[in-house]
Order: sequence, then structure tokens, then C-alpha cells
Amino acid sequence: MAPASGAPLIALQNLQKVYTRGLIARQQTFKLEADLTIDGPGIVGVVGPNGAGKTTLFEMMTGSNAPTSGRVLVAGTDIHRVKYAERDRLAIHYHQSYQVRRFRKLVPSIFLAPSPVERPVVHLFDEPQFNTQDGYIGFMLDFFRKLRAEGRLVILCLHPTASYHLEILNEIAERFLLVAGGTVTDLSDFKSLVAEERMRTYLGPEMTRAAEALI
Amino acid sequence: MALVEAEGVHVRFGDRVVLEEINLSVNEGELHGIMGPNGAGKTTFFNTLTGRVKPNRGRIRLNGEDVAGLSPHAIARKGLARSFQIMTLFNDFTAQENVMVALPAYRARGFDVRRAVAGDASFSDEANEVLASVGLAGKAGISAKLLSYGERRALEIAVALAQRPRVLCLDEPTSGLGTDGTLRLAELIGSLKGKLTIVAVEHDMRFLFSLADRISVIHWGQVVARGTPRELQENAWVKRSNLGSFG
Repeated sequence: MAPASGAPLIALQNLQKVYTRGLIARQQTFKLEADLTIDGPGIVGVVGPNGAGKTTLFEMMTGSNAPTSGRVLVAGTDIHRVKYAERDRLAIHYHQSYQVRRFRKLVPSIFLAPSPVERPVVHLFDEPQFNTQDGYIGFMLDFFRKLRAEGRLVILCLHPTASYHLEILNEIAERFLLVAGGTVTDLSDFKSLVAEERMRTYLGPEMTRAAEALI
Repeated sequence: MALVEAEGVHVRFGDRVVLEEINLSVNEGELHGIMGPNGAGKTTFFNTLTGRVKPNRGRIRLNGEDVAGLSPHAIARKGLARSFQIMTLFNDFTAQENVMVALPAYRARGFDVRRAVAGDASFSDEANEVLASVGLAGKAGISAKLLSYGERRALEIAVALAQRPRVLCLDEPTSGLGTDGTLRLAELIGSLKGKLTIVAVEHDMRFLFSLADRISVIHWGQVVARGTPRELQENAWVKRSNLGSFG
């Protein structure tokens, strides 16, 4: 079971990631900021345009990509201070193999702490392949509910390219994170997500209509 | 009673978690299907079950005995036989010889193939009996390489059955088979049902839904759903899909 430490399941504290280009005259090419807390178990939908930083956010949350500043606390533990091989015991990132990026490990593992738990508290699903034909969607959604019932936090990133993707988000997610314009906006329900101007721009007119039809 | 049990099986390859935590049990005499999308961890689980991959943690019990980490041949001796996704037959041997070299009694007396083939009728009778059970009665004298793809698949199952296993593990049995071949294989596996315990990893859902007593759906290295085909079909999204009309 998930630890009952009382600490929020995930806390992003003044988290910032900056990518720069050039050695002498450094030029900022990407910036993402996040500051939010999710206390208890739940299912959170993450949406946002390509290149907005969803994957970078997930990498920071699961400890593979170190933030430029700020902290990621998973059930009260700073995941970037946990031994590399044990970080997925706290927060696990499910993605396609082509999505995996590797980062330099700057601190030797010997100076890092072991994970306080065996099984992940936070489960991040990065654009899982949903196909209405094969029926797996139903099993996957039930599995998210099971993890939630066990006291875990499920974070689901989805690119709504078909209306059933919106149906999935509406059905399963209890709150949303919109990653756009270098920031992460916390939204309490599907209706407030669809009301966001940046979300409507990202969806385009046709998908926005499909989203509104679900409200 | 559970004949095969996996409990908390966790496997990682370097930095990558392949099986996060697999828990499942297969009852004696049951045909248990394992399905899941590509890359879900089905084959790794199969390889862990049959001893080719050692789990980082967790237990695999065969008839109550923990066999996790034992070598494949040690697990095979305890009564678990497997087939492979890629066929592993002796191409130049006849169908009968392929089966014969897998017979426990034959193996006990060593590997002098020529002498055995020429000399001992009891082995060839036993091999023929196994061949008949998979529908290859008339093919005993034909080289494995001259058999059709579907027949080779059946022969591979015969080789596994020759070991007189308690558990037969089939890895993607329909892979490479056309519609006809798949139907014939379904008939064959259907005829074995109830005679021994079968664990079949399969991506062809129609095949599993029509044959399996229970199914475990593996995804992200975990069992994400389990139940009888009928129970799994209750799900609203499953009803909307092709899967809803199977069985």
C-alpha cells in the first residue's frame, strides 16, 4: 500500500526547468515553471500542446531530469535525492521506449538515500496508446481506478486527437493540469479545463465543440 | 487449487522496469490466457515463468514450490513445458524423431538417435500416440522442414506434450498462422483443454476469448484486468470494441 505519512502525494515546490543554448552568450530556449500540491489519491489528466513541457514535467516528477531549481516531493521525499535505481519505487513513468530520454547522473548513488517505499505512490502514464477497436481502454481505465482505490496518484497525459480521447479524460480524470506557455495550471474539473482559452486554442474549433458536448 | 502462482513478480532490465508487479494464479486443469498489447511484458512474464528470466523479486510457485530463478530445465523437470514464438524444431529430423527425443524415457537413456530410431519400437509407438493427439498421425515419417507452418506449430506442441507436463505454456501459438491455421490450432488446443493445465500468451483476442477459462490482461508490466471472457466483456469500453462480440 501507499505510505500513510500524511505528506501530500506530490508537491512541486517552485519547480523550474530552463534549457539554454550557446556557451558564452547563453540564450534561453525553454522554460517551465510549476508550483502545486496534490494531497491525496486521485486521477489527474495532463494536457497541453507539443513542446510545452509535459514530458519534461513528467521527467522531473519521476526524478530522471533534474530541475534547474525547486523541489519535487513524492509522499514527502525529495525524489531527486533518492538513489537513481530506486526512484521508480516512488514515482514510475510509463512511456513508449522511443520516448525515453537519458540524463547525466551528477551525484554518485552512494551519496543518495534509498527509497522509503517498495511500490510506486505516483504512476504517470505518458500518452498511452488508446484504441477503441481492441477494447483495452476499458481495462486500462479500470486499472487507473484500482490504483486510486489503493491510495495512489495516477497522472495521465493525453493528446486529444479524437473525440473519444476527450471522453476518456472526462470520464476518468478528477482534476487537470494544463501545460502551456511555460506554466502548469491546475484546474478543478473538465468544465474549467474546456473554458480555458489556451485549451481551446490547443484543441482547435472542432475538438472544442466535441469537448463542450460532453459537459 | 492453484497449480501455478506468481506473486509480486518484478523484473527490470537495467534502468527499465519491465514487470512492475505481477500477481496471478492458474488453477489445475484451467486454460489461462494472458493477453496484452505489444510491449506490455507478456513474453517477459512468460520467460520468467519458464525460467529464462530471473525475477528481481517475487515468487513463482509450481504446485506450491517456489521455482523463481531455477533454470529452465529444472523447471521443465518439475512438469512445466513450453513452446516458443519462434519455432525450435530439429528440421532434418522426422516429426516422429522430434517428438521421440522429447520423451522422458527416451531422454533417460541418452541421445544416441540412430540406435534408438532403428531399434526401439516402444518409443516410436509412444511418439506416434503423441503425434496423433495433435492431428499429425499421418506425418510421422516426414521431415519437420517439409511440414506446413501450421503442422510445424502442432509438432512443436507435440514436442512439449511428449514431456508429459502438468503445465503446458504456449507463447503466441497463433503467431504466423493464417485464419485456417488458427482455427485448426484452436481445435487442437480445445481438445487438450481439461486434460492438463495450459497457460497461453496470445495477442489474438478472438482466439483467447473463445478458448480460455480465465484471462489475465497484462499491461505496463502488471495485471490490469482479470476474469472469465464473459466478465471481461461486461466492461462498457469493451462492449464498444471488436472484443464485445467475441466468444
